[in-house]
Amino acid sequence: MTRSSALDDHAVVDHRDPEARLRALFDAGTLRLVAPRDDSGVLAARGEIDGTPAVAYATDATRMGGALGTEGCRHVVDAIDAAVRERIPVLGLWHSGGARLAEGVVALDAVGQVFAAMVRASGRVPQISVVLGPAAGGAAYGPALTDVVVMSGAGRIFVTGPEVVRSVTGEQVDMERLGGPEPHGRRSGVVHVTTKDDETALVEARRLAALLGRQGRLSPVDVATDDPGHDLTGTMPEAANRAYDVKPVVQALLDEPGVELHAKWAPNIVTTLGRFAGRTVGVVANNPLRLGGCLDAASAEKAARFVRMCDSLGVPLVVLVDVPGYLPGLGQEWDGVVRRGAKLLHAFAEAVVPRVTLVTRKAYGGAYIAMNSRSLGATAVFAWPDAEIAVMGASAAVNVLHRKKLAATPPEEREAVRQQLVEQQIKEAGGVQRALEIGVVDDVIEPGETRRRIAEALAAAPAARGAHGNIPL
Amino acid sequence: MADEIRAEMVANVWKVVASAGDTVDEGDTLVILESMKMEIPVLAEGAGTLKQIAVNEGDVVQEGDLIAVIE
Repeated sequence: MTRSSALDDHAVVDHRDPEARLRALFDAGTLRLVAPRDDSGVLAARGEIDGTPAVAYATDATRMGGALGTEGCRHVVDAIDAAVRERIPVLGLWHSGGARLAEGVVALDAVGQVFAAMVRASGRVPQISVVLGPAAGGAAYGPALTDVVVMSGAGRIFVTGPEVVRSVTGEQVDMERLGGPEPHGRRSGVVHVTTKDDETALVEARRLAALLGRQGRLSPVDVATDDPGHDLTGTMPEAANRAYDVKPVVQALLDEPGVELHAKWAPNIVTTLGRFAGRTVGVVANNPLRLGGCLDAASAEKAARFVRMCDSLGVPLVVLVDVPGYLPGLGQEWDGVVRRGAKLLHAFAEAVVPRVTLVTRKAYGGAYIAMNSRSLGATAVFAWPDAEIAVMGASAAVNVLHRKKLAATPPEEREAVRQQLVEQQIKEAGGVQRALEIGVVDDVIEPGETRRRIAEALAAAPAARGAHGNIPL
Repeated sequence: MADEIRAEMVANVWKVVASAGDTVDEGDTLVILESMKMEIPVLAEGAGTLKQIAVNEGDVVQEGDLIAVIE
């Protein structure tokens, strides 16, 4: 049997080779090593990503499993500091067992300096991590301190590996279940983007670097409302209580499909980076398909971190609101829905980037406030004509407000009286007209003109950027 | 490997859409719950054969209760 030359090439190059990984990350022919390859366990390079200059470092898994010592850590710190000086994105490719044991505390000190460099750079330049193999101990916290973590199918992140877990607690668990794409993508929220293989992971990292590193300019005149696939008319279901997936709505809003972060973790809120009217924006959207679109502890925290990342990197926000409230229950209260929900209030209220809200269907109660309301300083708040903004749904409100009256009504007339009260309640308290009168909604807009109106509102606001880092909330 | 699908929140079981023995794909609706005045579909998280539907229409499920098992 003859083997193809591609397979021969593959056999020659170790898939862990850091130079090959960096070459695959950058545009063809643009890679330049910052320093010659050494035994430090780290290789740093410069190059272009989609034409945008960037810096990257890769741990060298062919040298002591990519373990980090003094020299290797210095390469990482230098790469990060250079990116900050030049205001360009910095990417890290991770495949490392953590600190070099043989170097002892000196290695710990060096890894700590990497963390400090990442925090210095936080909110100043985009930092993207790609986890291509096991990243343990210090190598786990490195990616976790950056803005976005991409993990390939072979990627693993954990503080302590399966052997240590077994010896300390007796628990039998493999690396994948401990820290693979499934647990980190769905349960822990450590990883923002999971991919099946290394190649796709690097493609996603490139898209993120391009979106955050070259954000473009808003161009409202280029937003045609009748573009096929971009008309938002008819995206809501007929029945008000029917669930639907908000992701196609987000896709129709954006110029082209964006990169969704944390797609499987806290899926009741969607956070997507993408191009809108030619510029990078962050979209935050309740997803009624999951948990009815309720906010809960995890989704509030997820959105809060996204909002703060966008604010710190100067990325304007578009917020699509269709929220029935905060999820009630013992589990939520004990999970810290108050503490973690407060993060979202804080994130929106402090954000200085242009941020426009659109209420597509409903916004109730505390969740209404949290979703970039007028009171939290939204640049503009729009609503579609059938939207409802209220303390609670009209039907629930009538049951509370008119409990005595309903109880006194003969049972055979009760439903008719209730219906009448509900209609009155909608008119007086929950309708979009009332929201306009008191100024919490600026304008009622048609779905078909939504893209243009949001683009104009974002463009009219002064460009600004929050003066803070992006703590991994 | 059996994949257990559990309730994400307290809810009433409004409709049972799928039945044991059905072949399902990721994203298929198995059961529709009702909570917070919203219909909330319970979706298959992977492809396989539906081994069991553990709820009936009209039941109240608590967070974490078993709804279905996919093999």
